Amino acid sequence: MKAVILLLLLFPLGSAVFNAVAGTRLPRRLVETVACLGVLGALGMAAVALVLAGGRAHDLTLLPWFGAGGFSAAMNVHFDPLAAVMALMVTFVAAVIHLYSVAFMRQESDYVRYFCCLNLFVFAMLVITVADSLLFVYLGWEGVGFCSYALIGFWYRDPANADAGRKAFICTRIGDVAFGVALALFFVRFDNFSISYVNAHAPALSPVLATVLALLLLLAAVGKSAQLPLTVWLPDAMAGPTPVSALIHAATMVTAGAYLLMRLFPVVQISPTAMLVIGAVGAVTTLYGAGAALAQWDIKKMLAFSTISQVGYMFLAVGAGDIVGGLFHLVSHAFFKALLFLAAGIVIQALAEEHNIFRMGNLRRLLPQVYWLFLAGAVSLSAFPLLGGFFSKDRILLATFIHPGGAYKIFWFIALAAAFLTPLYTFRAFFVAFPNRPGGRGADEIHPTPAFMARVLWPLAVCALGDGLLNLPGGIGKNFLGHYLAAVPGARPDLAAGLATEWAMGITSAAIVVISMVLAYLRYGRGPAPEPAIAGFWEVLFTGFYLDRLYQLIFVKPYQAASFWLWRQVDDRWDRGLVAAAEAAFRAYWAFTELLWLKVDEVLLDDGVVKTASGLEAASRGLGRWTTGRLSTYLAMLLLGLTLFFGALGVSWLLR
Amino acid sequence: MSLHALIFYLLGAVILAATALAVTRHNMMHAVIYLVISFLATALLFYLLGAPLLAALEVIIYAGAIMVLFLFILMMLEIGKSEKSPGAYLLQWLPALGLGAVSLAVATFLLLTQAGAGAVLQSAVAPPPAFGRFLFQRYWLAVEIASFLLLVALVGALYLGLERRDRSGG
Amino acid sequence: MAPLVPHSHVLVLAAAVFVLGAVCVAARRNLLMILIGVEVMLNAAGLAFVGAALAWRQLEGQAFVIFIMAVAASEVSVGLALIVYSQRRTGTVDADRYNLMKG
Repeated sequence: MKAVILLLLLFPLGSAVFNAVAGTRLPRRLVETVACLGVLGALGMAAVALVLAGGRAHDLTLLPWFGAGGFSAAMNVHFDPLAAVMALMVTFVAAVIHLYSVAFMRQESDYVRYFCCLNLFVFAMLVITVADSLLFVYLGWEGVGFCSYALIGFWYRDPANADAGRKAFICTRIGDVAFGVALALFFVRFDNFSISYVNAHAPALSPVLATVLALLLLLAAVGKSAQLPLTVWLPDAMAGPTPVSALIHAATMVTAGAYLLMRLFPVVQISPTAMLVIGAVGAVTTLYGAGAALAQWDIKKMLAFSTISQVGYMFLAVGAGDIVGGLFHLVSHAFFKALLFLAAGIVIQALAEEHNIFRMGNLRRLLPQVYWLFLAGAVSLSAFPLLGGFFSKDRILLATFIHPGGAYKIFWFIALAAAFLTPLYTFRAFFVAFPNRPGGRGADEIHPTPAFMARVLWPLAVCALGDGLLNLPGGIGKNFLGHYLAAVPGARPDLAAGLATEWAMGITSAAIVVISMVLAYLRYGRGPAPEPAIAGFWEVLFTGFYLDRLYQLIFVKPYQAASFWLWRQVDDRWDRGLVAAAEAAFRAYWAFTELLWLKVDEVLLDDGVVKTASGLEAASRGLGRWTTGRLSTYLAMLLLGLTLFFGALGVSWLLR
Repeated sequence: MSLHALIFYLLGAVILAATALAVTRHNMMHAVIYLVISFLATALLFYLLGAPLLAALEVIIYAGAIMVLFLFILMMLEIGKSEKSPGAYLLQWLPALGLGAVSLAVATFLLLTQAGAGAVLQSAVAPPPAFGRFLFQRYWLAVEIASFLLLVALVGALYLGLERRDRSGG
Repeated sequence: MAPLVPHSHVLVLAAAVFVLGAVCVAARRNLLMILIGVEVMLNAAGLAFVGAALAWRQLEGQAFVIFIMAVAASEVSVGLALIVYSQRRTGTVDADRYNLMKG
């Protein structure tokens, strides 16, 4: 088991390192193969681990990590059903995306960097998924943040892309700080970073500390998952390649925040206040995301806001105490959102980087496979009855509704409104971009894309449409996922809401979805779709309720002004002072070296050396005078020797 | 001290004085004569120390043969006076004198501070017949070798002294 | 059996004569004088041997003096022959003039 988990992590890491080291020197196909094998290997390992785990939790230590002053951290793994499901989902979606990327990046010369970062990302995400030690989680947390930054700004030569990467990194950093504080608090309180330990001892927490911890974790999750108030980076992150958006900003990284809350749910559960706040954040964000998505003309930005909205559902689920529902929706969302992104990617490439849906059209005729794929995803996203995301969203709404507390009813209503908006914006985009209509694109405008790109998406489509089967509320396979997750602390397999409430909820959701789809069709599905002007209320939605501009005003501009002032006053003066000091130092140094040169070098060294040499020469000449070649000299030397001998005898006798 | 001791010290003084004079004479003839005196005194000393045969031999060989040989050579070679200034002599004498003085001082010190230094010798005499018998019985081989050595020296001296007709080589 | 002098006195006398001979060898420039110095030294050695023969009551000491004399004689003859020879060759018996091995 330990070997399986180790391989699970090492496959993507190994291929990343291999490509990093040798990738530029190897043929392209080899690099791509290694990268895909890395993730496919991880997928295999995840499946094997799932089977081996058998629904129980496994605590394993992979490697010792570091120790300092009596404290030691190890790379521990807590492989429970939650981690098993998440790992399988992550590796599966990542595998599809890797295969898709091979074709998508076929004209990209910098593919080595891409695949390296992508593999590294998978590794880091898997670390977050399986790690037991919170420090280890933090390692993966930072890792995904970095890879996200690197991949968003992949085409860094355009400064806008680099800026987007930086924006993403800074926003998630705020969450990371909160995570760090939470880590410190955990250590202070429990003396232990292990998730399983913390979860087991969670009831011992005081409510105040639990609230603080849960709120800190929420802030960390909010940063990573682009929830309010830190949503602003995700739409900009669409500057990265589409597969990146699919993997990182739809299926995995943005769900890592919700996942963290689910992992540490026993801690969160202790504090009803925190649960309320989490639910509130989730609910408001769903509406916010849905609303903003409605006004977008860029297909990727629309999907980004949609992601924000859907992740809000997951947070809402956690706030309502239903982590089964949260995970269920997480998995569903991963499938259909990735599918939607990747299909959009094909369209964008085919239309030569056209992102504006109002400039698409006729895609049913021109890209038939993509038409059906996108439709599958859209239907799933809209939570069309019985298909795809219907059951997961329905479960969340149910959980929210039945949760005690008036606030939760409000949350339910907000989420329901968002559920109404979701099909609206989804099918708005669909009906504008895909069906055949006059004013759409012509066949000559299509750039050929490899058929492989579309074909590799079909498994994803099947999963997206059929994943409702994972956790049906009734009938065969009832609450399958829920029961599987029974070993996870805090999981409730059965919501026990009562049959009537369940049916009422289901029918309400279904009705709302259908009505919304019909409305979308009526508005956008017939006739030409002119691009609406972005003005008035539409503008509010388009800019995401001016959140970006608000942050610019509150944070960015003052910060820039302050740094400018600092530069002027301090830095500049510093610099001038430093320059003067440097000049003075340099002059002093020069004088010093001159002094050294004159005094030391010339006198001591040069003269010294010369004098030594001449001294030696004189000495040798002096000694040479002894070789006079005269007999008398040598005889005198003999006498000298005799004297010395006598002297030695005398001295030795004296010392005796 | 006894008479013999007195004679010993007297003879010793004579030897030293004569040798010192011999060593320091500029005229070589004088040096040789002084040395002959020294050797005669040494012979008397030998006699005092109980070696009458050696005393005779000292006179015959050392004073008689060797010194006479020196005189012959002196007269043959016609050594002229050297052209050196008096001051130069000091430079060549001083180191030797100094070293000699030091060695003598040390040697004297060492000898006189020995453990059995005060023990007085008792005189004895080695009668020549007995000594001769002793010599030829015990050390006849050495005697033969010494005579051989003398033969070699004779031959060598002869050869070296030969005046060749041709001045080249030799 | 009359008492004489301590053995060390004899040795001191021999040492003094020896040193005189050594000084003569070291200080004189004339080759003949150097040879005379050598003779003096040999004589001093003989004196020491005779004193030792008396001290240890062994005739070996005296026997050795015979050999010393033999050696001295042979050495003087050869040495003088050499001096004559070299005087004929170089025209001088000044040891300082024989400095072809200088440096």
